[in-house]
Amino acid sequence: MWILLIGLYLFSVYFLSVLERRMVYKKWNFAAPFSTLAFLLVQEDVKPHQRDRIFYETAPVLFIAAALMAVGVLPFAKGFIITGLSTGALFINAAFAYIMVAIVMAGWAPNGVYSMIGGWRFLAQLIAYSMPIVMAITATVMRAESMSLVNIVASQTHLWNIIYQPVGFVLFYVAAMALAFLPPFDLPLAPGELAEGVWAEFTGVKLLLFRLGRLMLILSLSLAVTVLFLGGWEGPLLPGFAWTFIKTILVAASFFLCGQYVPRVQHDDLLEWSWKLLTPLALFNILWVGILLLL
Amino acid sequence: MPNTYYLILLAMLLCITALAGCLYLLKKSMGIIIKEPAKDVPVEAGSLPQKPAWVRFHVHYYGFALLFLAFDMEMAFMYPWAVVYKELGITALIDMGVFLMILFLGLLYTWSQGGLKRQ
Repeated sequence: MWILLIGLYLFSVYFLSVLERRMVYKKWNFAAPFSTLAFLLVQEDVKPHQRDRIFYETAPVLFIAAALMAVGVLPFAKGFIITGLSTGALFINAAFAYIMVAIVMAGWAPNGVYSMIGGWRFLAQLIAYSMPIVMAITATVMRAESMSLVNIVASQTHLWNIIYQPVGFVLFYVAAMALAFLPPFDLPLAPGELAEGVWAEFTGVKLLLFRLGRLMLILSLSLAVTVLFLGGWEGPLLPGFAWTFIKTILVAASFFLCGQYVPRVQHDDLLEWSWKLLTPLALFNILWVGILLLL
Repeated sequence: MPNTYYLILLAMLLCITALAGCLYLLKKSMGIIIKEPAKDVPVEAGSLPQKPAWVRFHVHYYGFALLFLAFDMEMAFMYPWAVVYKELGITALIDMGVFLMILFLGLLYTWSQGGLKRQ
């Protein structure tokens, strides 16, 4: 049981990395994750000379640990879950908050201008994405009358949340992409203008931890979209975990696909859009769900 | 068993930290860094950095940050409210509606004063 569960999570991370590569290079390469792993393990460990020693070593660990905590409470199926915490919806929020802390630490540590700008930009990005993501989760909690993620899926047996609260789904989807800094929102990295920004000064195993953590973050976010809005493991014929897996992979593929057709958003534009449009919409979504629940 | 859950989460934290530590140690045992001039200088468009990057940075989104603080406080009240919402019914809707309306008026006021644009 435990072996199966861990295997499923590992396979999902592996498959996501293959999928991301497929979306970028337009061809399948199933060995690529392993060759990247081997490359990063033997890459020379170049460190900037005036770095903040503690932050430089701990930021990658904090990043991957935060992503792992989020994965730890998200269910694949009923009983197919690492920890069925009764405050799961709150816990994933708390875990996601540390992603920002890790990225700002990583931006500060190398004492380089580009990474510093990347770090400050991600702080701005947090101010933009966190309200929509938190309020969208709250609306699903209202419907389920419980913060347990298993109960949230159970509340969607008859009607998925994507139909019950479409505004909330769109908000969560966009905010999730901003949280994982996927292409239209890849402000801290911005390969074209900041030359990988925050990650530019990290090599070897530290970069490996960052990239693995990013994949786990994408997995946890697409799993969260599936669990909160797409009815989790509900589906005919196939066993529950297979449905969750299929939906999660589809959501992740749509994340990667969206990024290819949208230009990068500037961070002050992102802030303005978030506070002038997304936050009022999120409040409207809560009101909408509140009225529907009382009818 | 909530306590067991937290223990499992703690164990996961310890495991990932241990894994990272092992990787760091493995890396350290795998060879030395060859010292070359300007290898350990942070990337900066071809030139050497003039001064350290740890300087005062104009965080021009401070207006948003203040609004964010107010709204983030409100979210702390939202979660318990959301759990008991259906039970309390219309009273809960009006209570939170008044609270959110006050905050939302604050957002509108900031907007009207030009706080929601690049400073």
